[in-house]
Amino acid sequence: MAAQSISISGSGRVAGGEYAQVKISGSGRVEGDVVAQEIRVSGSGRFGGSVQAKEITVSGSGKFTGRVEADVLVTSGSCGIDGDAEVKELRTSGAQRVGGSFRGHYVRASGVLHVERDLEADVFTSSGRFEIGGLLNADRVEVKLVGDSRAREIGGETIDVRPGAGFSLGLSLTRGLRFGIGIGTLTVDEIEGDEVHLEATTAQVVRGGRVYIGPGCRIGRVEYRESLEVHPEAEVGERVKA
Amino acid sequence: MAVPDEEELIAKKDVLKLTGISYGQLYRWKRKGLIPEAWFVRRSTFTGQETFFPKEKILSRIELIRSLKEEQSLDDLVRVLAPETKPEGVKHDRPTALAPVGSEGHRLLWKDGGYTFAELVALACGAQVLRAGNRLAEAKLVLDLVRAAEALLRDPTGVSVILAEKSIDGEGVSVRFSFALLGREPLRLDREARIKGQLDLERLVEQVKAALREG
Repeated sequence: MAAQSISISGSGRVAGGEYAQVKISGSGRVEGDVVAQEIRVSGSGRFGGSVQAKEITVSGSGKFTGRVEADVLVTSGSCGIDGDAEVKELRTSGAQRVGGSFRGHYVRASGVLHVERDLEADVFTSSGRFEIGGLLNADRVEVKLVGDSRAREIGGETIDVRPGAGFSLGLSLTRGLRFGIGIGTLTVDEIEGDEVHLEATTAQVVRGGRVYIGPGCRIGRVEYRESLEVHPEAEVGERVKA
Repeated sequence: MAVPDEEELIAKKDVLKLTGISYGQLYRWKRKGLIPEAWFVRRSTFTGQETFFPKEKILSRIELIRSLKEEQSLDDLVRVLAPETKPEGVKHDRPTALAPVGSEGHRLLWKDGGYTFAELVALACGAQVLRAGNRLAEAKLVLDLVRAAEALLRDPTGVSVILAEKSIDGEGVSVRFSFALLGREPLRLDREARIKGQLDLERLVEQVKAALREG
């Protein structure tokens, strides 16, 4: 059976079901669970049930009440998911919020990303602001700091946190922090990784194999297995070779 | 999540030291669903928050993963362990093949396949009600109730489902109706209600997990 497509360009309300394409460019509401090849929201779209799609694009405002499963989710507008999200590839340059936990392979965030619980991915790259209520777990975590980001825990193989672009203007990082001019920071309770490079990061504990604590960092305790290097413009409370 | 006191715990860093695995491996196995979320026990220590594991379980699990890794059957292991570690990822097409659902469950099916873990538990509850000799309508009552309580299945400790019956007599009319109730123990019903059956959701969840592991 070939699934049909729906397009809401005025204001409309449709039932859930199986569709090839769901396009909302006006204001639309979908009641019930949806399975679709493609979902595009450029106006304002609300989904009342769970959503399963190959590709979801939100350039307007999208609100998902249930669980969202997708191969690709691209957000350039504002996208709110109340439940859990399982998205293989997330690319967001807008505001993305997940009320539950997020699971996927690849995350590239350059806007504002907010996940209430855990975020799991193979690769996580951010050049925006993020807030993770639980554990950020990825093989590779690459962060270019812009604004103030937070996570309860970060764990993985390689963790690399550096100031974002626009900072390398010859200003010393600590001086910049002192005057609080446009420099991003990261605040985390606990960071664990095999290869850890941190700058402008505040953490209670950092545990790792090879650890570099760069300028602007304030770390309560570092436990390292192989090597530890601390920049003179960093504060480290305790250093322990495990 | 509660871990019994008598279970010996081991700090994460000691697990790494003892087994020689890296942080990257441990976090990757957690993501893949090879190490259950419930095994990560966070405790406050004098240095701040630290993660501990049930010692015996984590060490034997790491050994299992390593022994299989060489045969490149890690993904098979993920599938085998999936119901235990990531029940939300389960999609099952033949529920009646699972012992807790069984052939009785056939009358309760409402779609061709793709049953989630919560739906399988709901089916198992319904099938149990049928097996106890109750009517189909009553089984469906219980099934719908459990399906709607998906959130409770994450931690089903002490959760029960009660199927009960009540009759009202008066003015020459007699009405008898069944109703179902779901919640954490202790559950209380008034004295006029007659309990027809009670299900221990925690046990059913375990049974469904075990059946998924085998099948």
